[in-house]
Amino acid sequence: MNNNKLKNIIEAILLASYEPLSVDKLFKIITSKEKTSKSDILSAIDDLQKDYEDKDIEITKVASGFRIQAKSEIGEYLNIMFADRTPRYSRALLETLSIIAYRQPVTRGDIESIRGVSVSTSIMRTLTERNWIRIIGYRDVPGKPAMFATTPEFLDYFSLQKLEELPDLPEKKEPMDLDLEFDEQTTNDQDISANVSEPISVNAELDTDDLSIQD
Amino acid sequence: MNKPDLKFIHNEDIDPKLSQSQQVEMPFAIVDGESMTELPSDLYIPPVALKVFLDTFEGPLDLLLYLIRKQNLNILDVPIADITDQYVNYINLMKELELELAGEYLLMAAMLAEIKSKMLLPLFEEIEDEEDPRAELVRRLLEYERYRTVSEELNKLQRLERDVFITGVESSHLAKPIELPEIAIQELMLSFQKVLKRAEMFTSLHLLKEPLSVRERMSTILEKLKNKDFLDFTELFNFEEHKTGLVVTFLAILELMKESLIEIVQAKDFGVIHVKALISDNEKNTEH
Repeated sequence: MNNNKLKNIIEAILLASYEPLSVDKLFKIITSKEKTSKSDILSAIDDLQKDYEDKDIEITKVASGFRIQAKSEIGEYLNIMFADRTPRYSRALLETLSIIAYRQPVTRGDIESIRGVSVSTSIMRTLTERNWIRIIGYRDVPGKPAMFATTPEFLDYFSLQKLEELPDLPEKKEPMDLDLEFDEQTTNDQDISANVSEPISVNAELDTDDLSIQD
Repeated sequence: MNKPDLKFIHNEDIDPKLSQSQQVEMPFAIVDGESMTELPSDLYIPPVALKVFLDTFEGPLDLLLYLIRKQNLNILDVPIADITDQYVNYINLMKELELELAGEYLLMAAMLAEIKSKMLLPLFEEIEDEEDPRAELVRRLLEYERYRTVSEELNKLQRLERDVFITGVESSHLAKPIELPEIAIQELMLSFQKVLKRAEMFTSLHLLKEPLSVRERMSTILEKLKNKDFLDFTELFNFEEHKTGLVVTFLAILELMKESLIEIVQAKDFGVIHVKALISDNEKNTEH
């Protein structure tokens, strides 16, 4: 099949599909009618990408495959059109989603212990309905809590190909040595000066060392 | 009392600076060795704003982080007494405004009070490895902050329906339903129908009445299968029998299958259905 025809077929298939398509899937569809190869498909996608350079649409690769989308530069126009359809997500929802994304598989209990508030049922429902999270098993502890993980659709939605592309989680900080000088203890704990000069993880051995110096 | 009680000003008309001027001179707090004589300005929160404000907090940890960060306090050296007072004031104000208070907020208040009281108690020599009472809380605050920060990053990613939009062309007018192959059970029924049809040709000759038992027929079938690897499904039927007799045979086959005494196999789609006895097979195996 000539390259131009293949390019046009792929373009039409991607436009007609409302979900991203992988090269495997494209190959399966096209090869059922015409002889082609996966590398031909990839180079045709490359050509399409070049064709779109001057336009406000583009081909992007996300977790589930390729999709044709409007470029973000045109977003401000489309936002006017979709104004009342653009979903807004609360901080609570985004925090819950982040914990699931970075700590998967997690149970409700894990989320609760990090956020300090009980997990909202409506948030979990929204996340499940949007197909961003799913239950991938049950932890073998009393109560058999469900373990949640993110889906490829979650990555698609945030224009990512894999989980590693998520923004880096800030480094884990350990509370520094918080040893108190108890002999100077007054009713106002503002007077307590704590040694915060060196970052040491709270550790029994180090604590005793510091105490003996005070003596 | 060497420091003024932190109270929220309820009347919006009062200038916060005016109320501060009444409590001069005496430093009410020492933060990192620096004495503070002025209340942090952001402690003034008009009650009207509070309701909106509260919605923006995502729990007690969030509220605590806010109180700490807004005053530029060192999270690793949190002035527990101060923070506890502010926190409790906040909670009380929430109650005053009759806002429904989540249990977690009260739990945190209790936790803060516990830490505060532990800090006031002298350290016992024998419990040397005792950790700073604040450590656990600080650890949780730090851990929570990591995810809070990253969730803001997540929100900045190119999002569908907000930053990028899926394009599409209408193709529903081109869609054609895909024909699915017929299911196997129908094939079985059709085979049985053929058996019945062939049997009809013999009906006129059949005059004798015979007693029929499914159990008995099961034995007959097993007898037929004995010393044979396979038999064609249709071979198990005696076409000279009346329709009822054929049904009894069919029931007997199903019963034998249920009891795992026979096995029905089909080598390929639409191929001949073979019946195989499982018992004789086992006996053969044990003999060897």
